[in-house]
Amino acid sequence: MGTAVVIVIAAVVVVPILLGLLFKVLWRVPAADEALIITGFGARRASPEGKVFRIVTGGGAMVLPILQKAQYLSLKADKAILEVEGVDQQKIPVGVRGVAIFKVGDDEQSITNAATRFLEGSNRGQMHDLVREVFHGHLRSIIGGLSVEDLIANRNELAQQTRDASNDEMQKLGLVVDSMQIQEIIDPTGYIKALGEPRAAEVKKQARIAQALADREATEREQEAEALKAQARRNSQIKQAEYQADIDRQAAISAQSGPLADAEARKSVVVQETAVANLVAEREEKRLDSSVRKPADAEAYRKRVEAEGERAARIELAEASKREVELKAEAAARQTELQAAANARQVELAAAAESKRIEQVGVAEATATEATGRADGEAIRARGTAEADAIARRAEALAAESEAVIAQQVAEKLPEIVAAAAGAFNNVDSMTVLNGAQGVTEVMNQLIAQAGPALDLARGTFRNGHGNGGGGPVEAAGKATEREGSGS
Amino acid sequence: MSASTSPIGCAGRVTAAGAIRPGRLGEVMVAIRGGVEAFLAKDADGGSIEPYEEIVVVEYEPPRTVIVTRLPSSEEL
Repeated sequence: MGTAVVIVIAAVVVVPILLGLLFKVLWRVPAADEALIITGFGARRASPEGKVFRIVTGGGAMVLPILQKAQYLSLKADKAILEVEGVDQQKIPVGVRGVAIFKVGDDEQSITNAATRFLEGSNRGQMHDLVREVFHGHLRSIIGGLSVEDLIANRNELAQQTRDASNDEMQKLGLVVDSMQIQEIIDPTGYIKALGEPRAAEVKKQARIAQALADREATEREQEAEALKAQARRNSQIKQAEYQADIDRQAAISAQSGPLADAEARKSVVVQETAVANLVAEREEKRLDSSVRKPADAEAYRKRVEAEGERAARIELAEASKREVELKAEAAARQTELQAAANARQVELAAAAESKRIEQVGVAEATATEATGRADGEAIRARGTAEADAIARRAEALAAESEAVIAQQVAEKLPEIVAAAAGAFNNVDSMTVLNGAQGVTEVMNQLIAQAGPALDLARGTFRNGHGNGGGGPVEAAGKATEREGSGS
Repeated sequence: MSASTSPIGCAGRVTAAGAIRPGRLGEVMVAIRGGVEAFLAKDADGGSIEPYEEIVVVEYEPPRTVIVTRLPSSEEL
């Protein structure tokens, strides 16, 4: 009984465990990236299209031991490293290092194709190699169809070429190309480098230009700033110097104010002294003027007037003696003529002595004529001499008298004349004469010279007044004197 | 959800480098089997479809080629 119970309990416990273990062995579940490929009993029948094996993805499947065989096909993505050397569209040698990422397609056909090729257990290495070989060939043709520029930049074209080139063969292998990348382009001829050179040089040039410009601008700004700084410094120093100069000036002024005031005071003293000296000099000059110059001038005037009177008297005298000589000469000539005539008559009488009667008459007539002529000549001569004497005497007397009268009258009026001439100086406070006493003399001479014609005029007036009552010779003598006076 | 699901009727778009040109294969991304898969694509009318344009699969050429047509955009409707 106990044994039976134990057996039952054991059976109850063990049988499910055993069944579970069995199920675990029989039931196969593929992972998300795997496909379960079941071949063997019933596999052909399960597929409606007459496939030779069953493909299970996602779910699970019972696999009968011995009758069926279950294998997993990895659907993982894998990569194939590609290194190809070829020529591009322009026959430029170029090496390309790239990578292709591929996986088995998720659809049934792709899995089928892949399963028939790569399923042998751990055959991923084979798949790898196969794909790489295929892609090597394809990549070579792809490079040949592209230019280097396209290889570098034109991903669309590369993808298109990849699709065009590998499409069919990948489909044959049941593979999908997820990505085809070119990682590196090996450039044995330096083509790419040369391609970039102009642009690089351009960029470098621009960079250098920009740098130089920036440098220049910075230097300019620096220099401007330096100049401004120097200017500011200069202005500041100038201001400082100006202020210092002001300070110095004020200091000097204040230092000088003492001596300056001193000098000012001394200057005032000197000015006053100068004024005093000027006044003294003026007084002295006036004193000399009145005591020396005016008497001298009066003396000179007197002498000149006297000289003029003397000269006029001498001229009158000379004219009188000239007339006397003329008359004497005339008388002598008449006498000589008469003597000659008498001599001729005598000669004539002597020659005519031949004739007695004629001779007597002739002698008598000659004697009579001679007596008559002689008497006439004597009378004439005596009368001329008397007349000449009388004229000379009267002229002398008249001349002396008029000159004396004029001189007397002028001498009486002289102080008034000179005072009138000097009256012009009454309005002059101080007369500055540049050349001293000589200058003063000149001024006075000019004054006197101005007074001279006035005197002459006055004298002429006086003379005319006197001459109205006198004879012609006196008037003639006065006129002669006037002519010489105006000529001097 | 199995491997035998057909992409016909699935919607998708043209990939960036997969513009469809007459006579050449393009590439489309199609939502299928809960994920998104890339298929080689041809235009049903033999025309061009630009990248990023919405498409719908109208025919399937196993294993990886689909015939697509452009989905009219909302403005064109």
